[in-house]
Amino acid sequence: MLLIHCPYCDDTLPELEFAYAGEAHIARPADPSKLSDEEWRDFLFIRTNVKGVHAERWRHIHGCGRFFNALRDTVSDRFLTTYKAGEARPDVQTLEAAE
Amino acid sequence: MTEYRVKGRGRVNTGKPVKFTFDDRTYQGFEGDTVASALLANGVHLMGRSFKYHRPRGVVTASSEEPNALVGTTRGGKGRFEPNTRATMQEIYPGLKTESQNKWPSLKFDVGAINDRLYMLFSAGFYYKTFMWPRSFWDSVYEPFIRKAAGLGKAPTEVDPDIYASRYLHCDVLVVGSGPAGIAAALTAGRAGSKVVLVDENSEMGGTLLSEPSVSIDGQPAWDWLESAFAELDRMPNVSRMTRTTAIGYYHQNMIGLVQKLTDHMADVPEGAPRERMWRVRAKEVVLAQGAIERPMVFHGNDTPGIMMSGAAQTFLNRFGVLVGKAPVMLTSHDSAWYSAFDMADAGAKVVAIVDTREDVAQALKDEAQARGIKTYLSYTATGTKGRLRVKALRVNPVRDGKVGAAHMLFCDAVLVCGGWTPSLHLFSHTKGSLHWDEEAKVYLPGRKTEDVHIAGAGRGLWGVATALEDGSKAGADAVKSLGGKAGPATYEVADDRTGTGITQKELPTDRSPGKAKAFVDFQNDVTAKDIRLAVREGMKSIEHVKRYTTNGMATDQGKLSNMNGLTIASDALGKEAPQVGLTTFRPPYTPTTFGAFAGYHKGTHFEVTRKTPIDSWAEENGAEFEPVALWRRAWYFPKAGEDMHKAVARECKATRESLGIFDASTLGKIEVSGPDATEFMNRMYTNPWTKLGVGRARYGLLLGEDGFIRDDGVIGRMRDDLFHVTTTTGGAPRVLNMMEDYLQTEWPELKVWLTSTTEEWATIALNGPNARKLLEPFVEGADISADAFPHMSVVECTVAGFPSRLFRISFTGELGFEINVPARHGKALWEKLWEAGQQYDICPYGTETMHVLRAEKGFIIVGQDTDGTVTPHDAGIGWAIGKMKPDFVGKRSLARPDIVAPGRKQLVGLLTEDPKTVLTEGAQIVDDPKQAKPMKMIGHVTSSYWSEALGRSIAMAVVEGGFDRMDQTLHVPDESGNPIPAKVTGTVFYDPAGDRLKVE
Amino acid sequence: MNAPVTNFDAVTVTVLPPVARFNLRIAPADLAVASKALDLSLPTRIGQGSQQGDRAAYCIGPDEWLLHAAEEEQQAIAAAFDKVRTETPHSLVVISDREVTIGISGPAAVDLLSVACPLDLSRIPVGGAKRTVFDYAQVTLIRDGEDAFRLEVWRSYVPHVQGLLDVATRELAAGL
Repeated sequence: MLLIHCPYCDDTLPELEFAYAGEAHIARPADPSKLSDEEWRDFLFIRTNVKGVHAERWRHIHGCGRFFNALRDTVSDRFLTTYKAGEARPDVQTLEAAE
Repeated sequence: MTEYRVKGRGRVNTGKPVKFTFDDRTYQGFEGDTVASALLANGVHLMGRSFKYHRPRGVVTASSEEPNALVGTTRGGKGRFEPNTRATMQEIYPGLKTESQNKWPSLKFDVGAINDRLYMLFSAGFYYKTFMWPRSFWDSVYEPFIRKAAGLGKAPTEVDPDIYASRYLHCDVLVVGSGPAGIAAALTAGRAGSKVVLVDENSEMGGTLLSEPSVSIDGQPAWDWLESAFAELDRMPNVSRMTRTTAIGYYHQNMIGLVQKLTDHMADVPEGAPRERMWRVRAKEVVLAQGAIERPMVFHGNDTPGIMMSGAAQTFLNRFGVLVGKAPVMLTSHDSAWYSAFDMADAGAKVVAIVDTREDVAQALKDEAQARGIKTYLSYTATGTKGRLRVKALRVNPVRDGKVGAAHMLFCDAVLVCGGWTPSLHLFSHTKGSLHWDEEAKVYLPGRKTEDVHIAGAGRGLWGVATALEDGSKAGADAVKSLGGKAGPATYEVADDRTGTGITQKELPTDRSPGKAKAFVDFQNDVTAKDIRLAVREGMKSIEHVKRYTTNGMATDQGKLSNMNGLTIASDALGKEAPQVGLTTFRPPYTPTTFGAFAGYHKGTHFEVTRKTPIDSWAEENGAEFEPVALWRRAWYFPKAGEDMHKAVARECKATRESLGIFDASTLGKIEVSGPDATEFMNRMYTNPWTKLGVGRARYGLLLGEDGFIRDDGVIGRMRDDLFHVTTTTGGAPRVLNMMEDYLQTEWPELKVWLTSTTEEWATIALNGPNARKLLEPFVEGADISADAFPHMSVVECTVAGFPSRLFRISFTGELGFEINVPARHGKALWEKLWEAGQQYDICPYGTETMHVLRAEKGFIIVGQDTDGTVTPHDAGIGWAIGKMKPDFVGKRSLARPDIVAPGRKQLVGLLTEDPKTVLTEGAQIVDDPKQAKPMKMIGHVTSSYWSEALGRSIAMAVVEGGFDRMDQTLHVPDESGNPIPAKVTGTVFYDPAGDRLKVE
Repeated sequence: MNAPVTNFDAVTVTVLPPVARFNLRIAPADLAVASKALDLSLPTRIGQGSQQGDRAAYCIGPDEWLLHAAEEEQQAIAAAFDKVRTETPHSLVVISDREVTIGISGPAAVDLLSVACPLDLSRIPVGGAKRTVFDYAQVTLIRDGEDAFRLEVWRSYVPHVQGLLDVATRELAAGL
């Protein structure tokens, strides 16, 4: 069981309070009707399958209720960082340098 | 005192004799004995039969890595039988019953031992080679054979009645292992004020010090020092100690699973006491002080009962006061066995000889052996044994310049072996910490760490009590420093420390044909050195392949004794160094763990949550049958005496259609959608338009996924301009709220809307039938619910029977219907009032089954039954629920996807069987022409099927390819025995298509 | 932790009488309005609580508060918030019946909660509250004292949670 840092609670808490919510930074198009079938397909179904650092969404569903984003290494299962929804994806190099 | 018990030795309580049975024979041991030590005290070495060859086997260790001495234990009463209990860990108590395994008819004479004679046939890869073909033999011959032969012990057939507990624990420092290193670590960290937990799998703490009382620490004999160390630890409120507690797994971020055995050593178990407890520990720092595991030597006949690890013999002597033999031979490549020999000699054994494979050892050891009159043979090998049920002699040969010389026999009653020591790194391996190959010592040591862990003592290849204490204390101090505290390592004065060195080796050289040698590497899975070499010859190059081909290390001991010997032999066969061949991965659990420990409280009524409505108890009192719906249990139907489900449901349907039915709808999901942008939010989430829905009006809402498929539905009432009362399906409630929150938080954060689940705030009672209003009206205050003032699809806030209420006029049955929401605590009271007053209308309580029938007669879908995640609104025939003018809503774009608009989609239609009495099977596949060749093309399946009492015939709904274009066609649906049943495609509204029944004045 | 629990007196589990309970959602910038409506200064950090007389407020999300008051005050509080709704949009939902409150107190309270609550309870301050899980149930855990807690449990989960607490209390009483 992982410990996950909720950027809204600013607290590190048991994984049991959280739910995974898929890949991060896939914004719903402002006007879906403008998208071609292929573009819409890609939005709906096409996801990266990263071996390494993956940007993904989690929800602190049994805590503060917020959706947030995380960078997690899919090989080691280690969280590099978590950040609030709407914030830009942090740069991995900067994170590693800071450690 | 039995023959092999030594007066004045051991820690067992000789004042408390304990009787127990093994294979129905009563033996006596003492309080503090294990089954193994007590049997050994009675001269019993033979404790089991091996897995494959049914060879007689004796106990080889004194600890949890025991591969051979696995017994069945009975704790008393039904279901309290456990197979494969390690005799070395099971403590005896008065009345304990144990039995040997894998034998028939008896342990001493076992018919299955014929396999041993067929040894040459059961070589490595036997299963792969033998059970390959023909394919048809697999089910009828091979699998039954393997199943019969496989597995040790017999599984209990009854439910385990015991309680299993679990607990979370948070601490600063968790110390695993309570030998000198672990104790020193706990002392140092405890003194620094850290919250420390010290655990050990044994019944008492002390580790190697329990087996080595001759050493003294800080001027105190080892056991006195232990007493004072434990006393100090117990005085610290920040330290706790747990015995009989095994760290079974090491997970991410220093989460360690501990299984604590609480009652398996007790004759009288306290009321309510759990048998075991799983601790889920989150430690800021972990100290692993698990020590090292002694390695067997691989030679012909090395599995004969009476052959055991020399360290085990030392433990049996010093901790339990048992001499495992009176005339033992030591066979070793490590100094530690020399000390075991000295201890045994000093306790009265006639040590026949010390046979060491090394060319020379320290002079001091030779002197001590000489002083005790023990013969020593250096640079010798062992090449065989005499004796089948008990070793009688060891065959030894000198080795000079790599040549094996002439053999001679050393007659003995035990052979005590030490082939070196393997640092126990199982838990460290769970963390994916890397292992570093020590070229010189030929062992793997901990390398790069992935967790906040410190490894101390023999677990990282260190030897001797002084070194372990020093290293443990340093690990404790390091842990404290990592936590930001201050601690200096303590120093200990150690006298009479038994330091020593040794080597490890492949199978011992022999003067006989190695191909015929039964030189066992893995005792539990009966894998020999020959098997491993054969695997390499047959092309297995990685140890992972060798392991699977030979099953070496795949038994319940996970190769604690065998892995390193197997690796050494495989490396030799491949002509490579061990790291190039690899090391198999250790996985949790460290030792076999009961299912009960994993299940914890989750058995019986607590297996899973059972959610109950406020009206559940009324249903129970009134004889309802229940069915699970999501996590809820819902009243399914209310049978009267002598009624089966069919009869009860027919009666409930009839009563509701003719007069009045009452139904508990409390499980429906309810969400308060509130805020100035609530309408906009609803417009974006649901397919329907919401802008023009007036306050006090309600509408059917349809929710899609972004892929265009139906996700949920429900009636939604507008309470205020800025407030909607949304209902969802029972199972969909959490999912819908999560989806709404997702869009709101991450796609449209600018909307001023808030969502609150009110599912459980309200109890919901549905009244349906022509007399619904007549019953309800007198109870209502603050609202006019007459037909004109309160039309179908309305909602109003009022009181019902004095309870504040949100009252809906809606219908999921086609009859005049109301749904009354009252604060949950009043649900049952309101139900009872309505029930009482409803007697004049012959009010009938109905359950989910009748609800399903009534809605199916009206063609109302149930999301998740008539839809399956691939059904669009159009497919379901409810395209009318889509707000055509809305620019966007979740899923709208997908309704124009190429595969959604393509012809031939499965569409929801009605099915009427030609024979009105035949009720189709839900889930049955549908074919166009039953005469077509097999495999037939299946064009859909039945989603709902019932007997309709109102129509006097069966009805069904189905999804069928191009269904809307197949009206009046006859399709075929197999019954449960496969006979095709013809049925005609129809619309889905079977009853009252004009909706006249809603218009009751 | 060294002191074994030897009797039932070490922990008391009781279903507490109902209170007026609200879920308040409001932008943190507008918090002063809510504090005024409730006549209680609302805490600003998740996990914090504030209390005065019968009224209490616990911050359980970035824009979410759990409010408690005496039952007879329910309508007055709802009305007070209603008055400022147009000016200061927010959501106040009555959830007095959604949850049932279970009181857990006594020297073994932390041990009892630890059977199914994965949180490090030592990090919950007295007077604070957290939404978390107890076994499979979502709960709000309120700490009233070093060894006094309240567990707010959705009504339908109460049989499950209470059943577990019963089993675990007997386990603690057994003293192993």
